[in-house]
Amino acid sequence: MAPDMEALYNERLTRYSTALQNGKPDKVPLRPFAAEFAAVYAGMTCQEVTQDYAKACKAARALAAGFDWDAIVGNMVYVWTGLTQAIGLKYYAAPGVEISSDTAFQYIEPPEDDAHMKPEEYDALIEDPTGFLSNIWLPRVSRDIVAPGEPATFRSHMAYLKGGMAMLQYFGALGEQNARLRVEAGMPAAIGGILKAPLDIIADKLRGYLGLTNDLLTMPEKVKEAAEALAPHLTAVALASSDPERKAPISFWMHRGGVPFVTTEQFETIYWPTLRLVIDALWAEGAQVLFYAEGDWTAHLERFAELPEKSIIFHLDRTDPAEAHRVLGHKFCITGGVPNALLSYGTPDEVRAKCKELIDTCAGDGGYCMDASAIMQNDSRVENVRAMTEFTREYGVY
Amino acid sequence: MEEAQNKPKRPPNVCIPWDEKHKEFPKIQGDTEIVKRTWEEIDALGYTFIWHCLVSF
Repeated sequence: MAPDMEALYNERLTRYSTALQNGKPDKVPLRPFAAEFAAVYAGMTCQEVTQDYAKACKAARALAAGFDWDAIVGNMVYVWTGLTQAIGLKYYAAPGVEISSDTAFQYIEPPEDDAHMKPEEYDALIEDPTGFLSNIWLPRVSRDIVAPGEPATFRSHMAYLKGGMAMLQYFGALGEQNARLRVEAGMPAAIGGILKAPLDIIADKLRGYLGLTNDLLTMPEKVKEAAEALAPHLTAVALASSDPERKAPISFWMHRGGVPFVTTEQFETIYWPTLRLVIDALWAEGAQVLFYAEGDWTAHLERFAELPEKSIIFHLDRTDPAEAHRVLGHKFCITGGVPNALLSYGTPDEVRAKCKELIDTCAGDGGYCMDASAIMQNDSRVENVRAMTEFTREYGVY
Repeated sequence: MEEAQNKPKRPPNVCIPWDEKHKEFPKIQGDTEIVKRTWEEIDALGYTFIWHCLVSF
């Protein structure tokens, strides 16, 4: 008799949702974020899953069928290079094109003197963020799109047209993927929606990290004004892409907004107040946010603890697990913490020991989901991911 | 910040505001709200494209 996928879906969703609400489910949920690891498992190259999202979705479905997890991302190789190439985006190196077929896609940081936004352009960004992106930023980051006032070109028109249609096609396919995961594997969606912090966006895509660092010293008020101007738009993007049923949290990818990338003062005066408004606005709509805290955010745990109970989930990368549980565990679910280096270079026994340590530290009263520290790429070994899964299922029973 | 959140020149989900586009139409003989809603829904797709280029891709 075929397994009842809907019953399995509901069982897993209940387990996952209970933990996200900082409650105690029947077992510790598993919610690994697997990107190029899916390619390894499915016998594909990084090029295949990055260039062809249908293959990436197929690889994710293979993971869902092959591992007893409680929630996954339908396609964690999120940057589909078919789309970025249609727009002509300059800042990606695609596997099989600029880099080898077995290397995950790379984001290319712009040179300090050739950032995608000039230091004198803050006022234009603040005045009209959407207009700035359309008229100045997009023509600058695209090989094909021309700026207003420049002669119109066929390739510019096509870049907009193909890019827009490709995005609609891709987002539609991700919805279909979630439906297939539910029906075929009884697997819930781990996240819904995307958020980045205002200050991170300025570093990531506009001024570059070095440019932002200079600006924070020479014109901090302009940086703060820009972050304030971006905040309502980032809120809108997060809400529009979020799970309308509010079962899956909005994913918030935390890059370089904490110490030591910025100073404590810069965090306190710019990063946190401009982010706090976004988080509060999302919570007012009932949307939980997964703080995917890449790096070590131990210095800022007390600030996160000020947020409304259950409004966020805190993900461990290099943040101290015991400290995170002490400061945040009474209010928020915690996820992750298995070092990716261990999944790549450790032994299954070492992985099991780490999982035991994390469960003992963070999962005693519920409110914890097992996951790697960072997104699993093609260096994670299948036997180690298998050990993480099986040990959590055996030991993580309440 | 509150002012910036509440009164941006081009608010979230908008590329070409209805108030601006409305002036280009002849006198609308039927239900203006249908035209407005349709304009705003499609206009928001343009906003989605531009902002997801920044945030997601």
